[in-house]
Amino acid sequence: MARIAAHAEIKPGTVLGRCVSRSRLSRIVRIAWRALRDWCGDAAYEHYLRSKGARSASVHTLTPTEFYVEQLNRHYSRPNRCC
Amino acid sequence: MRRFFSIAAWTGVALLGASALGAIALRRGETLNAIWFVIAALCSYLIAYRLYSAFIAARLLSLDDTRATPSERHDDGRDFVPTNKWVLFGHHFAAIAGPGPLVGPTLAAQFGYLPGTLWLIAGAAFAGCVQDFVILFCSIRRDGKSLGQMAREEVSERGGFIAQLAVLAIMVILLAVVALVIVNALKSSPWATFTLAMTIPIAILLGLYLRFVRPGRVLEASIMGVALVLFSVVAGQWVANSHSWSHLFTLSGIALTFAIIIYAFSASALPVWLLLAPRDYLSAFIKAGAIFSLAAGILFVRPQVLMPPLTRFIDGTGPVFSGKIFPFCFITIACGAISGFHSLISSGTTPKMILREGHARLIGYGAMLLESFVGVMAMVAACAMTPGVYFAINSPASIVGATADAAAATISGWGFPLSAQTMNDLARSVGEQTLLNRAGGAPSLAVGMAQIFSNTIGGAHLLSIWYHFAIMFEALFILTVLDAGTRVGRFMVQELGGRLWKPFGRRGWMPGILLSSAVIVGLWGYFLYQGVIDPLGGINLLWPIFGISNQLLAAVALVVATTILLKMGRTRLIWVTLVPMAALVTVTMTASYAKIFDPSPRIGLLANAHALATQIAAGTIPAAKLGETHRLVFNQRLDAVVTAVLALMILVLIVEAITQWYSILRRSREPILHESPYIATRWAENFSGTAHGDD
Repeated sequence: MARIAAHAEIKPGTVLGRCVSRSRLSRIVRIAWRALRDWCGDAAYEHYLRSKGARSASVHTLTPTEFYVEQLNRHYSRPNRCC
Repeated sequence: MRRFFSIAAWTGVALLGASALGAIALRRGETLNAIWFVIAALCSYLIAYRLYSAFIAARLLSLDDTRATPSERHDDGRDFVPTNKWVLFGHHFAAIAGPGPLVGPTLAAQFGYLPGTLWLIAGAAFAGCVQDFVILFCSIRRDGKSLGQMAREEVSERGGFIAQLAVLAIMVILLAVVALVIVNALKSSPWATFTLAMTIPIAILLGLYLRFVRPGRVLEASIMGVALVLFSVVAGQWVANSHSWSHLFTLSGIALTFAIIIYAFSASALPVWLLLAPRDYLSAFIKAGAIFSLAAGILFVRPQVLMPPLTRFIDGTGPVFSGKIFPFCFITIACGAISGFHSLISSGTTPKMILREGHARLIGYGAMLLESFVGVMAMVAACAMTPGVYFAINSPASIVGATADAAAATISGWGFPLSAQTMNDLARSVGEQTLLNRAGGAPSLAVGMAQIFSNTIGGAHLLSIWYHFAIMFEALFILTVLDAGTRVGRFMVQELGGRLWKPFGRRGWMPGILLSSAVIVGLWGYFLYQGVIDPLGGINLLWPIFGISNQLLAAVALVVATTILLKMGRTRLIWVTLVPMAALVTVTMTASYAKIFDPSPRIGLLANAHALATQIAAGTIPAAKLGETHRLVFNQRLDAVVTAVLALMILVLIVEAITQWYSILRRSREPILHESPYIATRWAENFSGTAHGDD
C-alpha cells in the first residue's frame, strides 16, 4: 500500500520518483557526453573555430582535414605518452 | 558546527586508513583480503590530497586564480586550448598512465606485497605527486615551457643539455624495455600475436576513415575500432585452434624482435594520421576501460592476497630480478610512485591547456594519486595468485628450469608449493601452450587480471578470453608508447643531427626521416635484442637500468623545481622538493653502484662480464655458444658504461645546482626568475583573488 502511495506521488518530470528530475538527468548526460567528446579529441575542431587564433582576421582558418592533420603532427612531435 | 563535522569526518578517514595500513603491515601467516589494500590506499590518498597538496598549493606555490594562464593568453585553438579541469585531468592521466605502474609492481611483488605497496602509497604522496604538481606549476608560470627549457634558463646551459640527454637516454631504454615486455608476452603465443597483429590493419582502417571520410570524428571511429579489436580477441582463439594459422602466428623471441623493430620504424616514418594516431585512440579507450574494470573487479571479487608480506628474496637473491630490497624495490617501481617521465607531460601539453592555476592541484597532484592507485591494483592482481605460480611465470628458465616438473621442484624448494600439474592446467585454461618462464610481468599480470575478471563475469569458461583480452590491452598500449616514443626520439635525433648538418634537421626531408628513424630504432632495437638473447630473460638486465634512467630524470625535474623555489624565496619550505630529491639521488646512486660494481654476477654487470670472460678463457663454453657468450660479455660492459654515464650526469647536475643554490643563499648573485609577467585573467572579472588550495 505504501508503495502504491509512493508511486501515486511521482511528479511529472521526475525520474523514478526520486529527487533527480528529468531535466537534471538530461543535463548530467549532456555534460558527460561533452566531456567525453572533449577528452577524446572529437570536439577539437569546434574548439579551434571558437578560439581567438581562428577568429583572427589575419589568419587563414583551417578546414577540418587540415586542422586534423596539423594537430596530429604537432601532438606526436613531443613526449605525449608516458612509461 | 560544520567545522566540527569536517574535522570528525577527516579524523575518521585517517583512523580508517591507519587501521588498514596496520592490517596489511602487521598480518603474519593469515590470508588478507585485497579490500584492505584499497581502503589503505584510498584513505591515504584522501588525506594526502586534503592536507599535503593544499599545503603545497597555498603555502609553497601560492597558486593564484586571478592570474591568466597560458591557455588564456595564447588561446590559438591548437596548442593553447582552455580546457575544463576534469577533461584535462582525463587527458593528463591518460598521458602519464603507461605500462610502468602495471609492470613495476608486478615485478616488485617478488619481495612480498608490503614493501612495494608502502612505496607506492608513500612515494606518490611525498615525491611523485609533488614532482608532477610543482613542475606543472613552474611550466604554467613560464608559458608552458618544457623541462629542458626551464633547466637551461633556471639552472644553467649545462643543466638544460643534461636534461635533453637524459630524455633521449630514458627514451631509448624505455622503448627497449617495453618492447621486451611485449616480446615475452607474445612469444610462442599464436592467439596473442594474432590479436595484436590485427590491431595494425584496424588502426590503418581507422586512420583512413578519420582522414578522408569523417575528419577528426574520433569518437565514432574509436567505437568501431574497439568493436573490431574485441572481435579479434575472440577470433584469436580460432587461429590458435587451427593448425596452419597457429603455425603462422607462433613466433620466437628473435622473430618478434625484428617484427616489432620493423613495425616501429614504419610507424615512425609513415604519416602520423595513418597508423600512430588511430592506434593511440584505440589504446586510450581500451586502457581506460580495462583499468576501471580492474578496479571494479577487485571491489566485486575482493580476492585473498596469497603472497606473504615479505619473501626470502629481500636479500637480493630473487629469481625475477636480482638485487636487495634497498635500492632495487625503489628502482623497480618507478611509475606509480615517482616517474621522471611525468615531468615531460607536466611541462608539455597540460600547462598549455589549463584554465586556472588552481586546477594544477587536481591535475598535477590528483592524477598522480590515481596512477599510484593503478599500481596498487597491479600489486593486488600479482599477489592474489598463488606465489608458486607467480614465480613460475616470472622466473627465467636458467634459474627454475625449462620444464614444469623442474620449475615445480625448484620453486617448491624455496617454500612456495607448486605442482607441475597446476602449471599445465593453468596454461591450458588460458589457452596457452605454456606459462613458464614468461619474464616481464605482462603474462603474470594478465593471469591475475583474468582470474579477477572471470570471477566477476563468465567464470572459468571465459578465463582464456579474459587472459587474452588482458594481454591485448597491455600489448596495445605498450605498442602505442613504442611507436609514439620512436617518433619523438626520431625528432630528437633529427634536432641533434641538424646541428651538425642543417638539412638533416628538416622534419619533412625524407632521407632525414628515414635515417633518423633507423638511428633511434637501431639504438633501442640493440638493447631489445640483447635482452631477448640474455639467458636470464633480459628483464633482470634492462628493467633496473630503465628505473635508474627514469629516476635520473625525476632527479633533474626536482633539481629544477628546487632551484626555482629557492629563487622565489621559498627557502623555509624547500624541503618539500629537496627531501624527495635527496632520497632519489641516494637510491639512484646506490643502485647504479650496485649494478656496476656488485661482486655477485647476478647483480653486478662487470662481475658478470668477468665471470663469462673467465669461462671463455677456461674453455668451459661449448664452441657453438662461444659467439653468443662474447656478445653477452660485450653487452654487460656496455650496460655498465651506460649506467655509469647516467650516474655521472646526475652528479654533474647536482654540483651545478648546489653551486647555484649556494650563491642564491649567500646572496652573492641576484636570482633571476624567468617567469612570465603577471596578467590578470579576463575570464573572472569579479574574482576575489583568494589563493587556491585553502578549500
